[in-house]
Order: sequence, then C-alpha cells, then structure tokens
Amino acid sequence: MNTASRAQVVLNYALLILFTFLAVYPIVGVFLASVYPPHSQPTSISPPSHFSFHNFVTAWTQGHFALYFRSSAIVAVSVVAGSTVLSILGGYALGTMRFRGSKVIFYTFILGLIIPTEATIVSLYYDIRALNLIDTWTALILVEVSGEVAFGVFWMRAAFMSAPRSLIEAARIDGASTWRLLWRIMVPFAWPAILTLMVLTFADSWNEFFLALVLTTSDQHLTAPAGLQVFSGKYTMNTPLVSAGAVIVAVPVIVVFVLLQRQFIRGVLTGAVKG
Amino acid sequence: MAGVGYQGVTKRFGDVTALSEFSLEIADGEFVVLVGPSGSGKTTALRLVAGLEALSSGNVLIGGRVINRVAPKDRDIAMVFQDYALYPQMTVQQNLAFALKMRKSPRAEIEQRVLQAAATLGITELLRRKPRALSGGQRQRVALGRALVREPQVFLMDEPLSNLDAKLRVQTRSEIKRLQEQIGTTTIYVTHDQVEAMTMGDRVVVMRDGVLAQVGSPRELYEQPADMFVAGFIGSPAMSFTAVSATSNGSGRVTLSRGDLRLEAGAARELPAEVIMGVRPEHARVWDDGTRLIGPISGRVEYVEMLGRENLVGVAVTDESRLVIDADADFGPRPGDTIAVGIQPGRIYLFDPNTQKALGRI
Repeated sequence: MNTASRAQVVLNYALLILFTFLAVYPIVGVFLASVYPPHSQPTSISPPSHFSFHNFVTAWTQGHFALYFRSSAIVAVSVVAGSTVLSILGGYALGTMRFRGSKVIFYTFILGLIIPTEATIVSLYYDIRALNLIDTWTALILVEVSGEVAFGVFWMRAAFMSAPRSLIEAARIDGASTWRLLWRIMVPFAWPAILTLMVLTFADSWNEFFLALVLTTSDQHLTAPAGLQVFSGKYTMNTPLVSAGAVIVAVPVIVVFVLLQRQFIRGVLTGAVKG
Repeated sequence: MAGVGYQGVTKRFGDVTALSEFSLEIADGEFVVLVGPSGSGKTTALRLVAGLEALSSGNVLIGGRVINRVAPKDRDIAMVFQDYALYPQMTVQQNLAFALKMRKSPRAEIEQRVLQAAATLGITELLRRKPRALSGGQRQRVALGRALVREPQVFLMDEPLSNLDAKLRVQTRSEIKRLQEQIGTTTIYVTHDQVEAMTMGDRVVVMRDGVLAQVGSPRELYEQPADMFVAGFIGSPAMSFTAVSATSNGSGRVTLSRGDLRLEAGAARELPAEVIMGVRPEHARVWDDGTRLIGPISGRVEYVEMLGRENLVGVAVTDESRLVIDADADFGPRPGDTIAVGIQPGRIYLFDPNTQKALGRI
C-alpha cells in the first residue's frame, strides 16, 4: 500500500488543482467569450447575460471553416497514416534488430526531435519551391510526416523494446518471417502505444499552423489554425466571433482525444506499470 | 524424431565465454536435463539448438545433420519458454495453430492437431480464451500444447516450471515426464532445480561455468559424483564437507581425523594425506550402539530443522565444519547439546582438496 502523509496529500491535490486551473482557464475563457452576443467585448471570464450560439454559425460560414477543415482533415489523416506506418517500420528495425549503423540512424532521428522547425523553415521553403510544391497539401504532408517520424520512431522503438524477447523468439521458431512477426505479433502487442502515437500525431498535424502559413498561400490549402489566423485578422474587433472560430478549430482534436482517451492512457502507461 | 549432438561447442558473448568446448550426444527419444546454477551455460546450450544464438565454434547437430547455420524455423524444434511467450492478442486456439499456419498446413489438419493437443493436455475448454484470462498453470499447458502440435524432432524446455507454485510444479513435473515417455520425442530440459533434474531426466548434465561438470543417470550422479561441485549440487539437503587427515593403518584400513573427530574405515586405495570427507544427511544417523555405523563422532548441535517426517540436525563436528544428519522426527535435541553421530559404511565420499575430484567412497 502506498501511504502518504496528510500534508503530502494536500500538497498533491493543491498542485493538481493549480495545474488543472492553468490548463482549463484559457479554454473556459475562450468558450465563454464565444457565447457572448456578437460585437460585445467580454472583459473578464464570466458567463454572458444571455448565451448566443449564433456566433458559431456565423464563424463557420463567413470564415470558410468548411474549406479549412477539409484541408486539415486531408493533411492530418495523411500525416497520421504515413508517419504511423513509417514509425512502426523504423521503430521495429531499431528496437528489435541488431545491425551496423543502427545507433547512428537512431541518433539522427533524435536530432529531428531536437531541431525546431523554425530553424529549418527557410531552407525548407526553398526546397519545397524547387520541388514545385508550394501551396499544395503534398508539401504539408511531406514536411509534417518527416517531422512526426522523428518522435514516432523514438516512441515505437521504445514500445517494441518493451516486448518480451521470448515473444519474438517464439514467433521465429514458429516460422514467422520478419514481416509477419511485425504485423501479426508486434503490432497487436504494441497497439495501445500505436494508438497513442496516432492521437498525438493527429493533434499535432491538425493544429499545424506555422508550416501552413509559410508553405501555402491560397484559402483552399490553408489548414484550420492558419485559416483561423486569417479569419481573426478580418474580425479583430469581434471577439465573440473570433472565439467561436477558435472553439470550432479545437473541437476535432478534443473529440478524437475523448473517444480514444482510455487507449491513450494505456499507451502512455505502457512499460510504466507491470501488466 | 532425432538425436541431438554438441561437438566442441563454444559460445562467447564479447569477452564472456558462456559455453566452453561443450560436447554431448543425446540419443533419439532421450530426456536430458541440463542443470546448474545461474551462469553455468545451460540456457545458452539450449538456445544454440534452437538457433536463437549463433555459436562461436564447434557444431550442433540434429539427426546427424549439422545445423549451425539453419534458421530456427527450419530446425524442426519446438521450445517452451520460462515466461511461456504466448501471443497475448490470440486465443489459445490461435496460439496453438500459429506455427502450423505459418507452415501453411491444410486447415483441416491444423484443426485436428490443435484439438488433439488440447485434449492431451486437458485444455479443450480453454481454446477460445486469451492468455490473460488463464491461470499460470493453464498458460503453462498452452505453452506445452504449442510445442506439442508441431510434432517436432526435438522439444526444448527452458525452466518451464519455474513460474508455477510448488504444488503445481510437482504435479506438472510428472505430467511432462509421462507425456514425453508417451510420445517419445527427444527432449532437452533446462532447470536450476536439482530435484526436477533428478526426477525427470533419463540423463542429467550438470554444468558449471560454461563447462560440462558431469553427465550420467540421476543415480550415477548421486552415487558417484565426479567432484565436490556435483556432489554438493546433487542431493537435497546438500552434502556436508569436512577437511580431514587420512592415515593409512595398513591392512586396507584408514583413519580420518581432525581435532576430536576420528573415524576408521576400510579403504581400497591409496589416499593423499589430506582429503575432504563428504557425507549426505541421509547417510548420517544418530549414534546407536549395536548399529553398523562408522563412528561415533561427537559434536555440538547447532540447529534443528523440523520437516514433519524427519528432523534435520546440524552438528558441528570440527571447528569449521558441520555435518547435517537426517534424524527421526521424535529426536529433538536442543541447540548446544552434544550428540554422537555415525555414518553408514561405504557412504563417506572422499575428495582431493586440490583438484576437488572424487577419490571414491569408503
């Protein structure tokens, strides 16, 4: 049994409440602002005298959010699919096989985690332009996949390394090829971790703002957060409307997280708690 | 089915030699147990047959064929792992069928063989369950079943009972032995438990520091241990050792002495001046005039362990050594008491203190 003193329990809860507050405060603030009457100026976090949900309709239609959502969905789904498959393959090789140069390759991936996109954005822009891919979804997908794979490989390598060695050996003796071993044994074993990776990647890609701003120019290819930037530029004075736009953009990630929450937590705990 | 051969097999992991010049012939259908403390190389020896490790030098043979470079799946072996290594997302039925599926056996044959293996092991009603819904004993059976359905040339078992509780272990031990006798598949079984080794093996291979210490039937190892290591490892409770001086009295008699301890017995061969005397608890008794025991040796009782059926009594016989004797359950001396002990004739094992090799029994 884990026994903690009363003071410790109080301190733990105080910290938890503090951080929950810090996380929730802006979200509640934006949501409350979004239900104020149009053109009003909410000054503090308090519910309006009467709720106006019409802002959402206005924002959706005037802000072209249907268009941005399509962009974000196409990019996010492609990025999740592409980077997950590549991360599984890379993590499998680095986590279960011994080969010359594996360490160098692994640290190269880690480098991808360390270097911020901002540091490479200029050369990236010229590369994408040289490929004739400026203002395309392909550009966003390629760049984002390469970014996500850095973390993905790191994550999946750890997940596959936590598989008991005997499981791999049993499958090898049973006659499974490397390919079969991966898809029939290892992927089902690491499924919670894979699902977690997919949720994280989806959130990351959906919220992608900086790359979309630099690499795309037309409304048609803007992602939702970048579209929100354009939208808020147009309606700077209408705080409730801009807030409604922000809420709309945040909804898909929240929905995905809520739907997959249980698996997500199981994935985060993989290896941390004995099964 | 086929025999297995090791010919001068060495396995190194970096600077560590896990197995050194290991040679052994295992006959077709034989049940051989590799036993030894951890780090003795027994598991390495098993994994080399499975193809899970590549050997550094020497040859491993199955059915007379050198298989050093043959992939695990092509060696026609089945292995039972210590942690069972069941595929967690598959049902018991799928676990059993997996190897056959990989081999592309016809569906009807797979079904029939899975059912047959399940029936043999009494796990038919578990076929639809997943491993996490099984008890330790049930998982162990499924692991055995997975080996059984393949009908391999050789069974390899790596401490398959070590995760079971004591009672289940004893029960499963005899079941595995019976099963192996029934199907007659060559089996190599690794354990660190000498009781398991003695009760299951047709032959037992005692290993130490990557080297084969002795191989023989359980009785041979018990009666004629090659050295002090085997003598101490085989038999429970372990043999007690005492360093003594040996003086020949002529006419084939020898006196073993150290301090107050003095024993006289018949010795067929010449002994060095200093020897180590080994006595198994079951061969040492409380002294009783009139019995045919060698002795008496008097000593101070250090401890008494009650086992119910008998009492094990630790008796200090010299300054630095003690004899453990197997006494009747109603014999209950107190620690500190002085008692007299005798040893069955022919049951004093002697060893060379320098080489630790056996010098025979007197």
